[in-house]
Amino acid sequence: MRNARRAALPLAAALLLSGTAACSSSASSSDSAGGGVFTTIDGNHPISAGAPMNPFNAAGNTFLGYDTMQLGFTKKNPQDPNDFFPGLARSWKTTDTSITVELEPGAKWSDGKPVTVDDVKASMAIALTQGAATVGAGVLTQGLDVAEIKETAPHTIEISQVPGAKNIQFPRLVLTQKIVPASVYGSMLPADVWDVVHASQSADPGQADAAKAAVDKLNEIGKKISAFAPATDVSAGPFVITRINPGSAVLDRNPHFFAADRIGPKQVVVRNYTGNEQIWNYMTNGELDAAPFTAIPDNVLQRILKAGNQRVDAINYVDAAIAFNQSVAPFDKVEVRRALAHVIDRAAVTKVGQPVGGAASKATTGLIDKVAEKWLTPEQQAALDPYPHDETKAAALLQQAGLTKKDGAWYLPDGTPWTITLQTVNGFSDWIAGGTVLANQLTAFGIPTKTALTADFSTYKKEMADGKYPVGFWLTALGPGTDAAFQRLYGADNGFTAIGAAVTHKTGKGSGNWLNTPTSFTLDGATVDPGELTARLTLLKPDQQKDIVQQLARLTNQQVPVVQIWDYTNVQFVNDKRFTNFPKAGQDGLLSNSPGVWMMQGYVQPKSKK
Amino acid sequence: MTETLDRTARATRPPTRRARTLRVLTRRPGRIIGLLIIVFFTLMALLGPLLYPGPLAVDPEAVYAPPSAEHWLGTDFAGSDVLQEVVVGARYVLLTATVAALVTAATGTLVGLVAGFRRGLADSGLMRITDFVLTLPGLPLLIVLSTLWSFSSAFQMGLVLGVTGWGGVARAVRSQTLSLRERGFLEAARGLGLSHRHILLRELLPNIAPYVAMNLLLSVIGFIGAEVALFFLGVVPFSSENWGVMLNQAVFSGGVMSSPEALTYLLAPLTCILLITLGIVLFMDAVDELFNPRLRERT
Repeated sequence: MRNARRAALPLAAALLLSGTAACSSSASSSDSAGGGVFTTIDGNHPISAGAPMNPFNAAGNTFLGYDTMQLGFTKKNPQDPNDFFPGLARSWKTTDTSITVELEPGAKWSDGKPVTVDDVKASMAIALTQGAATVGAGVLTQGLDVAEIKETAPHTIEISQVPGAKNIQFPRLVLTQKIVPASVYGSMLPADVWDVVHASQSADPGQADAAKAAVDKLNEIGKKISAFAPATDVSAGPFVITRINPGSAVLDRNPHFFAADRIGPKQVVVRNYTGNEQIWNYMTNGELDAAPFTAIPDNVLQRILKAGNQRVDAINYVDAAIAFNQSVAPFDKVEVRRALAHVIDRAAVTKVGQPVGGAASKATTGLIDKVAEKWLTPEQQAALDPYPHDETKAAALLQQAGLTKKDGAWYLPDGTPWTITLQTVNGFSDWIAGGTVLANQLTAFGIPTKTALTADFSTYKKEMADGKYPVGFWLTALGPGTDAAFQRLYGADNGFTAIGAAVTHKTGKGSGNWLNTPTSFTLDGATVDPGELTARLTLLKPDQQKDIVQQLARLTNQQVPVVQIWDYTNVQFVNDKRFTNFPKAGQDGLLSNSPGVWMMQGYVQPKSKK
Repeated sequence: MTETLDRTARATRPPTRRARTLRVLTRRPGRIIGLLIIVFFTLMALLGPLLYPGPLAVDPEAVYAPPSAEHWLGTDFAGSDVLQEVVVGARYVLLTATVAALVTAATGTLVGLVAGFRRGLADSGLMRITDFVLTLPGLPLLIVLSTLWSFSSAFQMGLVLGVTGWGGVARAVRSQTLSLRERGFLEAARGLGLSHRHILLRELLPNIAPYVAMNLLLSVIGFIGAEVALFFLGVVPFSSENWGVMLNQAVFSGGVMSSPEALTYLLAPLTCILLITLGIVLFMDAVDELFNPRLRERT
């Protein structure tokens, strides 16, 4: 990755999108006031000089878990999408259609004012103006479908989904919204904002125009809010920003934080970086107390470890895959996709692409291997085709699809030479390096392949959605929820839109459907629609999902809409020179959050307290 | 007696162009070294891809391997041979720079000559165009263009670099032409009624040729830097055999600033660029003397 930072960007985005798993025990809290300066970087974005201290600004200088708070912080538990560390919510109860949240009674903003129900209401309204609204009216499987918020008791609010919706991700979506002070942001919301929200959520076809107008209005409000620059940072988190320089942001401990006694460091410094190599340099110089996932070559890893940093691995619910546009020949033929899966030596590609933070995928299922192992029976796992590196099998499959080989090169059934352009993104060094090996393997097999770069990830996503690339890298298996993982394959990128369990499918220009997987398959003698199955997952609790997950995993393995190359590992580093009591490998839930969240749980205490 | 006269005549006869060139080249060893370097890299560009036919081999078991008998300059991020990448990559780099330099020299000289000689409306028009070209921010423009254009061909990139880079040459050639225009030999040519074409090509051009030649060589250095910078920034197509991409990978993926394993990967293309620059600078000394009669007289 242009540096690995770029490679990490889609991962960061993916992690933000995904739910989370794995529990961890809370550390013992400290009774000390604590001290010391904790230095780190924000893996989601570097410091943007001049950007506002606004969490709704794309380049905003705020830091989740430090000065930006949520009601809860997800533990990434694949068996329970609603497993969270408490944030501003002390406790919560969920029903199929709502969540009731009890706010932390002692929660205060850094200006001394208490955190109130009004703050939560304003924050939810703002959230609905930020992208969630842009997808349009109706109940969307991935949307934040908040319809009503009412105070049921002091410090307690009930937040309901729009009528008819039963999205199992609803509690997660509510708990992970950023909570901002109504005293700062509230004046930017019109008094009738909830009426506009309700209008935007109307599923009545007769109100479609009014719904669209409401969405447009929310978007307008959203733009103003994202451009807003507060004069000072008002935080309900353990820290508050005191100054931002181009090189770093300085956050001091928030004396009003409700659990200030647990917070070890007296100050956090978030360093700026221009690329991964700078992060590596910080670590080899021993300057960071903790560093999030960064793509890293093995030689640099050794230097980092030698400098006294400790590697802490955690599960990462993301996989790098090669995706096919099945409307482009010859990728429309399943034999061709299977053949390519056999040609690719995934271990070799991973060794070059992600030598430290990747593990070659065992099988393509739409899930990362560790999740697939939990959902599939041993018999089902054994029955999966692992598509081992086998050029003889690949050749046989291609011949079966009508392709021919002459003078060491493969020709399409119409007699034209078969060449592949493998698309990847400028700056994503792991994809580029892996793509180089992949291109080499395919070329050696007789399919001349070159890698091509798109200038940036947003252009890549747009051009991919426009069907511009027949073959390209893609992140799959975003989890930990199986619904989110399969939506990467049988969701919007495949033209599926789900309203509750009702699924519509679009194809062609402007539909966003670039995978172009057929909508009907025969599995075990029955006809299945992967889009419909995926939509149903969003309505089912994990213990009810098993049959569908197994069906979709087996179908994906047979049809190979993508070839999964490597599962990412969340490789982080901590340095115990100045602080102690860091989370350890195995505490996946904690490690999927920022060190600010670790500190809220009592972790990261100074070695010498001042 | 006759024999003595012949010998004296031979001794006073001006040396042939070849002898003169040879004498200029051998006067200082640096000039020969410069020429040898240029010839070496030219041969590398011509024959390199023939020496290593077929795709670049990768070896995931030998990533950033140190120099060895098998890999004289070690290996890269995919275990590919760095020497092979440098040799094969020379063609793109040198072809791009040569095309760009030729386009710059040809366009700049033509525009400058015509503007300086014709003056008036032609001068004003051409100089406004030149000013526009001079104001084009070359590298940022190329970065923007690279989002629309793949630059997979060395000719394409050379053309774009050349088209955006001739402004300075045109300005300088115009100044030279304006100065020469007032000289006696041009007054005489005009008095004799010689055609403008004859005056431009036979009278003016030879007099500014030394400047153009020097500029051509200097611009090759500049264009090598520009194109390598584009690839180094990662804004143009990725190709393992490109020197700029090699520098990019060594710094941003190989961690050469944190660990020395990728050092030869970084130094190989860097050394090539430095050597080419050195060769051109050394050789320019000879070119200067060859074209400049005053320097020849002094010796």
